[in-house]
Formats: sequence, structure tokens, C-alpha cells
Amino acid sequence: MLEQLLTEIRNGGTLDITKLAVRLGTSSQLIEAMLEHLERNGLIQSYVSCEAGCQGCNLQEACNLQKGSTVRLWQSKSNE
Amino acid sequence: MSDCHAPSVLIRSEITREKMSLIALAGQPNVGKSTLFNLFTGLNQHVGNWPGKTVERREGNFAIDGRQIGLVDLPGTYSLTANSPEEVIARDFILRERPDIVVAVVNTASLERSLYLVAELVTLPVPLIVALNMMDVAEQEGIHVESKVLEAALGVPVVPMSATCTTGIGNLLQVISETLDRHHVSCPRQPEVRADHRAALGEILRHITGCVPEPYPTEWVALKLLEGDAEITRTMQSILPMEKWGAVSSLLRQHDDALLAVASGRYEWIERMVRAAVIQPKRGQVSWTNQIDLWATHPIGGLAILAGILGLVFWLTFTIGSPIQDWLDTWAVGGLSKLASQLLANSPFWLKGSIVDGVLGGAGAVLTFLPIMIIFFAAFGLLEDTGYMARAAYVMDNLMHLMGLHGKSFLPLFLGFGCNVPAIMGTRVIDSKPARFLTILIAPLVPCSARMAVVAFLAPAFFGPKALLVSWLLVLLSMIILVLSGTLLNKIIFKGQRSAFIMEMPLYHLPNARTISLLVWQRSLSFVKKAGTNILAMALAVWALSVLPGGNFNDSYLVKFGKWIEPVGRWMGLDWRLTVALIASFPAKENAIATLGVIFGSNPSAGLAQKLTSTYSTASALSFLVATMLFIPCTATVAAIRQETNSWAWTLLNLGLLLAITIAISSGVYHLALGLGL
Repeated sequence: MLEQLLTEIRNGGTLDITKLAVRLGTSSQLIEAMLEHLERNGLIQSYVSCEAGCQGCNLQEACNLQKGSTVRLWQSKSNE
Repeated sequence: MSDCHAPSVLIRSEITREKMSLIALAGQPNVGKSTLFNLFTGLNQHVGNWPGKTVERREGNFAIDGRQIGLVDLPGTYSLTANSPEEVIARDFILRERPDIVVAVVNTASLERSLYLVAELVTLPVPLIVALNMMDVAEQEGIHVESKVLEAALGVPVVPMSATCTTGIGNLLQVISETLDRHHVSCPRQPEVRADHRAALGEILRHITGCVPEPYPTEWVALKLLEGDAEITRTMQSILPMEKWGAVSSLLRQHDDALLAVASGRYEWIERMVRAAVIQPKRGQVSWTNQIDLWATHPIGGLAILAGILGLVFWLTFTIGSPIQDWLDTWAVGGLSKLASQLLANSPFWLKGSIVDGVLGGAGAVLTFLPIMIIFFAAFGLLEDTGYMARAAYVMDNLMHLMGLHGKSFLPLFLGFGCNVPAIMGTRVIDSKPARFLTILIAPLVPCSARMAVVAFLAPAFFGPKALLVSWLLVLLSMIILVLSGTLLNKIIFKGQRSAFIMEMPLYHLPNARTISLLVWQRSLSFVKKAGTNILAMALAVWALSVLPGGNFNDSYLVKFGKWIEPVGRWMGLDWRLTVALIASFPAKENAIATLGVIFGSNPSAGLAQKLTSTYSTASALSFLVATMLFIPCTATVAAIRQETNSWAWTLLNLGLLLAITIAISSGVYHLALGLGL
């Protein structure tokens, strides 16, 4: 199951977790748990928008990353 | 007789085992383990460090019916593989101390995550109890766990509870007591390794049997070797005779993908457990989300919805914001200018001019579009808080993939809608240097909120009721140019290479008025601060240039500079005033308005918008708006480009490219508009 998920990530394209869960025949919660597992093991990396750096951005004081409302992306690390 | 050299190292707990039973609390971080520990031990606890580590060690004791029990709160861990000091401490304690019971605390609301550690704990030779903590949270989220079914599926006692609400604690104590009295005979069901690795596991087991040092269980060590656990591999390599290690090492090389296979087996085990015991939440919200997403994330329908929402935001802005802006421009700024002119009638010309034309005409004009900004911020805050923005990102990425744009470029480009600076910084996600530099090249083409605000101010002034359509087309034009540039660069540089993203789609939910109000307040405050500092300074500088050297506007440096640069502007249908305003937008986009405010001067009888309407043709106005959308980015963005590329050559190339695009497209639009008789 974990291998299938990694294959899907490496195959390319944009996927959302709900559709991925349907494709792999499991739940969104399990997909999220597996994504976190793959990240902990260094196979994928996640990005939260704006996390990369806000220096100079005039809106930075207004951002609230803890609120979790920013878009989160997961990406394979090993298919470069 | 074994030919291995097995060391036997035990770490003694500070708890005296002869006098009391020993229980270890295990669990992932943030599952309420410490709350349960505090609940059990109260003040009878001791906090120190694990030997040789900086990881906190918490021990305490409590009693059940007079029986003294020592309790150790193990560090929060996701697994028992030696990925972190915490994981090594947790597993070494369990294996070397052999507590009488391990209580695995899990988050009932997120069993899929929490059960991974349990999948490892069930393979260890210690009695296990699963404490289903946070039952209250799970119930609130509509998740119902059949604890008895889970108990039967796991083969170990399962106790539903909530440490925060102190419910189920008595039950847990009773099960602990019964387990200590051996009333519970556990028969845990263990995860399986994928079929194509089972034979290898058996072979490894055969090679290491008799060589595994105390206190490690042989089967567990075999599994950890297959999993590639660094510490166990090191230990076994130093212990096993060379020929045995050679055989094991060869097997491990042949099965180097076993790390995923072992973990995968555990997730399949978790899925079986969850499927058996968890009654899924009322799917109302989820199915509502799925229903909306059928359209909102559709490759074509989603784009149409996005375009519609963008149109709606513009409509709201122009319907509500523009009349207020117009009123402020004419009456507030105009009135204040009239008042200031009267009060400063006998003051030196520089004082009167800087206040009336510089401060009020420039920075004041920018402040009048605060209502427009508030509507913008509120609309986008609303879209973000409902969960729609993630869908917008998703359909945009789909479009970019259709156009062949490199997937990794998407994230920074998406960030650019707020501000180009984080967009440039965001290109750090792209590991390939050429790909990263090329994304930096096109990122400033994403219309940032400051450019949009300038358009939101000028479009109604120039186009009246057609402002909505013009604004919408301007955004579309920016995106088309961006996609075309990206497609071209992708074809040349990336050779059509694709990479993948998985995006988390939050559930749709009703927006929180307080969250949106706070966001609008903070962003508006930030905008006002900018108007009061950078933009005010620029307005005063433009005013000074408009009166120096002799106090006559027509002979001023500003006019001379404007006339000098005007031939370039003429290609785009811009007179010297619009050209200077465009150049002045380099420090900050809003300066375009401030500069026009200073040049046209403040006049109580007519606001800036009215003066612009009466001065410029439709073709010139259209060309100026296109140039504003595409022109070189603000200084903060240029500084970010310099920092991220670490090259002035790349930075200048970027600015040159954007300048060329601006002149080419604006000229094209101007002449096309003239050709159409506009």
C-alpha cells in the first residue's frame, strides 16, 4: 500500500488526497498517515505555502501559519 | 554452543522493581500521554533526563488497591525504529527493563496515525494495553470506535477513555490491575510482512538465531534488520561471525525495498483494525465537500468556477468599494486639501506644496482605496477560510500541467497571488538550478495583491461600468502570458519533465467571522502603515522633483525626466505622466496612484479618478493597466530575486525580460485598441 502511494506520487501530476484514497481503495485518513510516514522517513517532503520565506513581504504580519489554512503540498524527494 | 559474542547491557530504572510493578506509557506525540501520566501520579513524580541523553525522563508512582506501581512516561515516538533518540530510548527501555505492562496511549480521533506504534508494540514480548484516549474528541468529530471489536481484532485489552475529561480512568486502572494479576491473556495479532519478503525474513532469522544479544527478541531483530534499522544492523554486524553476517548482508541487499514492505504490512494491519472497529463519522460534511469538489476541482468546470468567483470579487469591489473610494477621493481628500490650502495660504510654498500636493495628493490618494483593499482582503479571506483557495490552487495546477508547465513551478507561482516576494522565496522547493531560475523569471508575472489594488482603483476610473470585464480580462491576460512563457521555458529547458504533488484539500466549512475580521484588520493595518511610510516618502520625493529646481512645475526635474522618457511611453500610448507613474511604481506598486495624485494635484472640485477619466483615451488607459499588470516588480521582489539567484546578471536579465514583455504587450494592446476605434 505504501509502495503504491509512493508510485502514485512519483508518476507525476497533481493529486488530491480524497481522490487518491479512492484510487488506492482506502481512507483519506490512512493516506495522510502514510504521507506523514513517508515524510518522516525522508522519501517525500511537504511544503506549506509561505513557509519558505516571507522576508520583505508587506503582508507577513497578517499571516497566521498556525491556523493551518494555507495550502499543503507533498512531493517526492527521490525522483529528481 | 553459540559462536557469537553477545553483550548483555541493561539500563536499570530508578524504580525499585522488587517493591513495585512497573508500567510504561508509550504513544505518539500529542496523544495525551503526559496528561494521563499526571493524572496517575499527581505530585509523586520525578523529572530528569534519560542517561546520556537530553531527552526528558518522567517517572512517578501511584497505587491501585494498595499495590504500589511505578510509572514511566516514555518519550513520544511514531515508531520503534532507530530514527531518533526518543525512539531508541523508548524501545530500549521496553526491551531492557521489560516493564510489567506497556500502556499504549492512542488518539481515538486519529487511529490511522496512532496505531502504527501499536503495530510495533504488539511484536514485543511485554503485556500491552491500548488506552483509547481522546474519546470525547472522537465523538465530537462523529467518529465512533467499537472498543470491544478493536480488542478482539488486536488481541490485547482496549480501554476507551479521556484523560482530559477523566472518563474511563477507573476502567483503565481495573484492566491494569487484572493484567498484573494475569487475568488477561493477550494474544496479539501481528502485522505481516509482504509475501515476497517472508522467505528472506525466515532466512535472516535462521542466520541470527543463537547470536542475538539479550534482551532483544530474535524475531524482532530479524524484522528490524530487514527494515534497515541502523542501530540493530550495527549491533548485529559487530556480533555475527563474518560468514553469517555476509549471508545476512547479501539478503538485505537483495531486499533493499523491504523498508517500505514492512511498513506497508503495518499499514495494511492498521486498515484492517480500523475497518473492523471504527464506525465512520456522519459523512454529511465530507459528502457535501465531495459534491462541491465534483465541480470545484473539475479540470474545466473548476476553472470556470474560479473565473466566476474572481469576477464576483471584482463586482463586489466595484459595486461597494468604488463609490466609497470616489467619495473619499472627492470629498475627504479634496476637502482636506481645500482646508489645508486655506490654513497654509501664507506658509512657504514648499510647506504648502508638500502637504497639499505631496501628502494629501499622493499618499492621501492611495489611502482612499483602503475600502477597495478591505473588500479584497475580506473576499479572499472568506474564500480561504471556507477552504476554497486549496481548490483554486488545484485547478490552476491542472491548467499548468495541461499547458506543460513544470509542476514544481506551481507552488511559488501560487504564492505570487498574495505577494511576489514569497513567490520568489518559494522557488527554493525547486532543486534543479535552471528550473528554479526560470521559475523566478516568470513568477513576477503573477498579479500580486498590490497590482490588483491599483487595477481595482484605476479600472472604474477609466472604464466605468465595464471595469469588471476589463479587470477580469487583465487577470486572464497576465495568466495567459505567464502560461505561454512557462510553456516555452518548459519545452526548452525541462524537456516536458513532470513531477508530482499531492495536495491536502481541507473540508469546506462555514467561515468564521472573527477570523476574517482579524485578517482584514491586520492586512488593512499593514497597508495603512505602508501608505504612511514608503508611499508617503515616495509621494514627497515625486512632489519635490515636481517643484525643483525653481518651483515651476513645467521646468521641474520630474517633467524633464518625463519628457525624456516619453518616447518609450509613446510606443504604448502613454504620455509622460503615465510613464512616470509607471516608473514610480517600482518601489511599490501603489506609488503609481500616489504619483498620479501628485502630478494631477489635489483639487476639491474633482477627484483623481475623474481627472484621469477626462484626460486619457480608452486605448491609453487600457495600455497603462496592461503595463501595470506586467511591469517589473517592486523593489522588495527585485531584492528577493537578487538574493535567491545570488546574481546581478540574472536579476538584470529578469528585469529586462519583464520590461520587454511589458513594452511589447502594452504596445500591442494599445495599437489593437486604436485599430478597434477605442
